[in-house]
Amino acid sequence: MNGKKIIRSTCKACHGGCGVLVTVENGVVTYLEGDPDSPTRGTMCAKGLSSIQHMNHPDRLTYPLKRVGERGEGKWERISWDEALDTIGNKMKGFIEQYGPNSVCNSQGTGRGYGRYTVRLGNSYGTGNRGLGTSHICYFPRLKAFEAIFGVNRLYCDYHGWGGEYPKTQISWAKQIEHTNADGEMAVWFLDSLKHAKNLIVVDPRATSITNQATLWLQIRPGTDAALAMGMLNIIIYENLYDKEFVNNWCDGFDKLKDRVREFTPEKVSEITWIPKEKIIQAARIFALEKPGCIQTGEPLDAIHNSHSNALSIIAIMAITGNVERPGSMMCWVPPDTGPMEVFHWEIADNVTKENLEKGIGRDKYKFRPPGFCHTETVLRQLREGNCAIRMLHQHGGNFLFSLTNTKNVYKSLLNLEFISIADQFMSTFCEIADIVLPVAHWLEEDDIWDMHPGFMVRANNKAVEPPGEARSTAWIYLEIGKRVAPKFWPWETVEDMLNYQLRKADIKWEDFKEIVMLARTGKDQPYYKYKTDYWRKGGGFPTKTGKVELCPTMLEDLGYDPLPYYEEPCESYYSTPELAEEYPLILNTGGRVAYNFHTQFTNLPWIREMQHYPRVQIHPDTAREYGIEEGDWVWIESLRGRIRQKANLFAGMDPRIVVVQAGFCYWEKKGHARFLTSNANVLTDDAGPFDVAIGSSNYRALLCKIYKVKDGDPLYDPIDMDN
Amino acid sequence: MTRKSVFRDPDLCVNCKACVIACKVKHMWPPYNTTGAMAEPEGVNLLQVYQYGPEISMDGKVHQPFVSIACMHCEDAPCIKVCPSTAISKDPETRITLVDGDRCIGCKACLWVCPYGAPSYNDDGKMVLCNLCIDRLREGKKTACEAACPASAIYISSPEDISKLRSRIAVERIAKGTME
Repeated sequence: MNGKKIIRSTCKACHGGCGVLVTVENGVVTYLEGDPDSPTRGTMCAKGLSSIQHMNHPDRLTYPLKRVGERGEGKWERISWDEALDTIGNKMKGFIEQYGPNSVCNSQGTGRGYGRYTVRLGNSYGTGNRGLGTSHICYFPRLKAFEAIFGVNRLYCDYHGWGGEYPKTQISWAKQIEHTNADGEMAVWFLDSLKHAKNLIVVDPRATSITNQATLWLQIRPGTDAALAMGMLNIIIYENLYDKEFVNNWCDGFDKLKDRVREFTPEKVSEITWIPKEKIIQAARIFALEKPGCIQTGEPLDAIHNSHSNALSIIAIMAITGNVERPGSMMCWVPPDTGPMEVFHWEIADNVTKENLEKGIGRDKYKFRPPGFCHTETVLRQLREGNCAIRMLHQHGGNFLFSLTNTKNVYKSLLNLEFISIADQFMSTFCEIADIVLPVAHWLEEDDIWDMHPGFMVRANNKAVEPPGEARSTAWIYLEIGKRVAPKFWPWETVEDMLNYQLRKADIKWEDFKEIVMLARTGKDQPYYKYKTDYWRKGGGFPTKTGKVELCPTMLEDLGYDPLPYYEEPCESYYSTPELAEEYPLILNTGGRVAYNFHTQFTNLPWIREMQHYPRVQIHPDTAREYGIEEGDWVWIESLRGRIRQKANLFAGMDPRIVVVQAGFCYWEKKGHARFLTSNANVLTDDAGPFDVAIGSSNYRALLCKIYKVKDGDPLYDPIDMDN
Repeated sequence: MTRKSVFRDPDLCVNCKACVIACKVKHMWPPYNTTGAMAEPEGVNLLQVYQYGPEISMDGKVHQPFVSIACMHCEDAPCIKVCPSTAISKDPETRITLVDGDRCIGCKACLWVCPYGAPSYNDDGKMVLCNLCIDRLREGKKTACEAACPASAIYISSPEDISKLRSRIAVERIAKGTME
């Protein structure tokens, strides 16, 4: 490994997938920069670039560990990979034999191009209880709504101009892609395309950084997005601004939608959303008339108990304005020759028996979900009550003590699992209560195929250097566990064999793919107007039951749900719970994100931490004055579930009644419970419901809280009451 | 190579801090000096981004510029004049301001006179300054910050080019109504 070389690879610091050039000298990564010859044209973000510090962190896990003390006591013993994997494999097989496959759950954190391994593992041993975690509040509601309406599980904003046109009108709805969450669109594509846009409409309670460039800012009350979307539908339909050609020829259920949104007049919607009615009318008219247009939808739309309706109503705006499959609008990208990489897990989905799927926890209640995913809040409640079918969890990345609602309950629930094994790069607070911890390689240390959201491209993660100690790649870990529990479905001897298998449709081997780094269908190779061809259906149409865009989706109807969007007040609000609002008079929004953290990741890096040492709660200056709070003061934020402290950041770019708490802030340097109870936004969020009736989404984004200054002598955090 | 000038557009900047970390990857080697303990760190930054506002006008327009600050490579640089050990000089070709760490005595006089507060100081007290990635420019590459920026908010070019660019931006934004 002598000398200097430059390796082309793909960043996995979030789930974006930017092209990178990695300089390696004598086996050490000495430089990291964007790859100018990649679709992200050489740009990178603070998260990806700080990977050079992340991978070299002194706290990286380097050996498999077995817990020898009590859960959370921090006593570990180094064990061999064989012992670790055999223990996990034997535990899985033991539980499966005794209680059936549904007793073993396997799950993951945010997708970093490895979802197909975790899901294949679950499918291979046949569990109907996969995917404990956050899918129901992040991405699935949008995906499922797209699938219900169009028959394909995602349309993306066409920022690329491949069809000869860029979006003229863009809506950024509950999204800060310029900072975070590159799920299908990437910041650089969005920002580049703005040069061609006439209108940018931002829907956000706060003045986000992109709001500076907006032609129109709809300052929405948190949790009322479905009302706004139905208000816009009302204007577009009743002012006759919809695309009649597209609606008449290609849509089904228009009249039912029309009836449903009739009552959502601008006046009524203005009252619900706190947005002046003129602005609602203006936004609807601009989007309907200044075409093509696209709408970027963010995760906050999913993280609330009205999630499927949020998605249905916003997607209906795309449909009735004809912003579907035309250049510069919403596109369903055709994958490269590899085909969709998810086939790797779909292809063995039948191995899970119908009975096990039906017995999946929460399946009976929340049916509008991808099969095999258990309902998180129900599982956790059952664990606390001691009647949960799940006995073992194998987890890859992620930290439920930060990502799930009501952290204290999550902690108590997880303790009731009989066996937990986790693969991670650092000893997270979740790892601390596990039985076996596996050290995972960093993305700069592993070979794999990256296949995240954008759909039109598949890229290579090329190993630049050896991982520290005995850390191993994700693909290797899954192959080894798979071989132990379901060898029939994991027949490959090496990781390279498994990668070759995944690339076979493109007729390319890993050793060649790693050199070319990317297979993509872009430019003229990317077909538009596919519904006018035989692509989805002979003679044209969409791959839905009716062959049309279903504005009143039969998929929901068949499952017994109201197929049309509707609006429901947030479960805690001035209007739904006025008595609660007397004690908790402010709206709690946990959507605070910064561009240099990805959930709990990166707050252990000096480069990142020096930009922000403490988490911040954004409070309007008028509200702060009322409470005697000044910039930088420690403030308690308290909800029905408990309280946390963050430092006050006075921010005038929002309604004075809203408090925005920063999410995911992990004090990696603190020991024990202080790490996840001091400032963790999800101590405050709701796990009791009501949840979204169809998907089961819980409430993160629109709750009620009170704030007050931290006094001398206050505890750092309120401990968990284990008896209650 | 011609004279180099800097323009960072506060209206296009989205405060993502990519430039801040790109600069560290380029100039702060080795990336690790931590002992694992995390005291309140005082970083050495050649480049920082500051947020102003937001101010919101009656019609709902948001004024919230993000200003990224590093050495502006002043033509008639006060730091060069004031430096008692002649540690600061101009690259004759590009007019980039350069620091000679061996000559710097760490007196911080440059910080007193710099209108941008650009000088930063290493653990050894010696001044460090943005050198516009002069080695990258010589190789025909963009600076680390310009290359990383997803918002196209950073331009390093000749003063003439930047002047033209500024005029064009002004015209475009007036036409679009985003600038009065």
